[in-house]
Amino acid sequence: MQSHERTVQLSGDLVVPGARALYGELRHAARRRDVKTLVLDFAEVGRVDSSAVAVIALVERQLARHGKRIELANLADRHRAAFSLVPAPAEPDTPPPEPGVLERLGDRVIALGTSARGLGRLLAETGRVGFAVATGRRRMPAGSLASHVVIMGVDAIFVVGLLAFLLGMTLAFQGAVQLRRFGAGVFVADMVGFSMVRELGPLVTAVILTGRTGAAIASELGTMKVGSEIDALAASGISPVRFLVLPRLAAITLVGPALTLMAIFIGMLGGMLVSSLVLQLPAVTYWSHVVERLELSDWMHGIGKSFVFAWIIGLSGCHLGLRANRDASSVGAATTRTVVVSIFFIIVVDAIFATIATFSAGRA
Amino acid sequence: MTAPLLECHDVTVGYDTPILEHVDLVVEPGEIVALLGGSGCGKSTLLRTLTGLLPPLAGEVLLFGESLYAVPPDARDRLLRRTGCAFQQDALFGSLTVCDNVALPLRELTDVPGAVVREMVAMRLAQVGLPGTEKRMPANLSGGQRKRVALARATILDPLLVFCDEPSAGLDPIVAAGIDELLLQLRAAFGGTLVIVTHELASVRTIADRVVMFANGGIRATGTIDELMHSDDSEVFNFFHRVPESEHAIARHT
Repeated sequence: MQSHERTVQLSGDLVVPGARALYGELRHAARRRDVKTLVLDFAEVGRVDSSAVAVIALVERQLARHGKRIELANLADRHRAAFSLVPAPAEPDTPPPEPGVLERLGDRVIALGTSARGLGRLLAETGRVGFAVATGRRRMPAGSLASHVVIMGVDAIFVVGLLAFLLGMTLAFQGAVQLRRFGAGVFVADMVGFSMVRELGPLVTAVILTGRTGAAIASELGTMKVGSEIDALAASGISPVRFLVLPRLAAITLVGPALTLMAIFIGMLGGMLVSSLVLQLPAVTYWSHVVERLELSDWMHGIGKSFVFAWIIGLSGCHLGLRANRDASSVGAATTRTVVVSIFFIIVVDAIFATIATFSAGRA
Repeated sequence: MTAPLLECHDVTVGYDTPILEHVDLVVEPGEIVALLGGSGCGKSTLLRTLTGLLPPLAGEVLLFGESLYAVPPDARDRLLRRTGCAFQQDALFGSLTVCDNVALPLRELTDVPGAVVREMVAMRLAQVGLPGTEKRMPANLSGGQRKRVALARATILDPLLVFCDEPSAGLDPIVAAGIDELLLQLRAAFGGTLVIVTHELASVRTIADRVVMFANGGIRATGTIDELMHSDDSEVFNFFHRVPESEHAIARHT
């Protein structure tokens, strides 16, 4: 029997920095085939911390599988205290089996359905509360609309204006080079005016609103959810939709078309600057061409689109922000998704608008 | 005895204006010290200063004999690694599983092999009463469970000095008593030292060797819990005997 025992003299402090070495040493000692019992001698051991306790418990379990065992010799009281903390081995949770492709696909579909239902509920609630506010039975939180209009709109005037101006200039440059070859330089005014009103004004405004406002809404509401602020509202009988969603949607409904209108005019100004510098086109000629060319239907097309874009941005921000889970990374994910989803739907809706307008006007 | 683990010399803490002034505090190895005081008295602010998060407005904080705010940042991090801190809000990482949360200090700061890390995590989770929860996400745990996971994370390296902000607040009496028991066991086994901030008088009575009570912007009293319970100072007496403020005037005359 004696020959089946092997004694390992441990010494010094058995603490975290030496855990790797201790684990290696014990596994090496236990590997010998003839060893049935591994005796660990603690006579010269100083401090023992949980890493050593864990190493020994782990090796003991590994040995038990081969019918071997560990004995601890010459334990001091403080060592005994450390080992007394070893809990009975817990039944490990059996992890659920990895979902298959079909299952994952199904999960995605269900998640999409849940999200769509959530969006439907949000819309219904917004409509209900919006109606109550409109008929004066309920109020929006005092001052919230004005403050949101300032944050979303007034603070964005500079960046939207600058970008629209540059865009108008770029368009005019492009047009001037091409149209001059046909002696049609004067039509630069038509081109800039027409594209700014129908396409680029609404689009550039929507992209900036998505990045500035949509992302801000999603991260703000998501963070409020993490901090239980949304729950606090609901539990006090205050509708989060009325308190948080409605002011934001109302503000973006005002701000989106207003900024779009501004972007259109500033873009035309940029075009005028280039026309007068490159084509020596007088300002009066430029503007008369713009006014002559643009019809009411063009304005309705552009501004109508900007309302839809504003709602896409506002709704995705509110919906995805409110659906965020209670952890930091899901707030980040909600923000990213808001930007991606908004821009995706803005471009889809833009394409739909263009198609319908073209066919209905018989221009195709 | 060896040198004190933690020393405060005439420390003033606060954000812009001082909240606590002239704090002198010495924590010896193996001691459990409870910081007590009414809400808003500055206990938690002091704890932020002790854990390296908020420089004191005046005075010096020594951790393991070195000045916490005078040493370079790297050295400060090395000092702080030898302490553990369980926050009042559990501060678990929401994107990591319970196991990864608890294992984080081990994986980031040591070279302990993976199998041993998992064993240590499983042991510590069983000790805080949450065996087999490794795969769960923090969002799926109750508040009390999250608190215990946070305590497991704070103590996974067997730090010489553990700071706990309200370790048993919001827990049911049985679990709270279990946490107290665990803190005592950990001290007996690994020789840890504890600084806890708490309101729970029952818990203080069970575990604290020494109580430091704060009031009116400074240390009001220090001693064992029994000494403070029989204090002549009416404010201290009222705190321990739960006399509401409105009755203070009456209590003073009886």
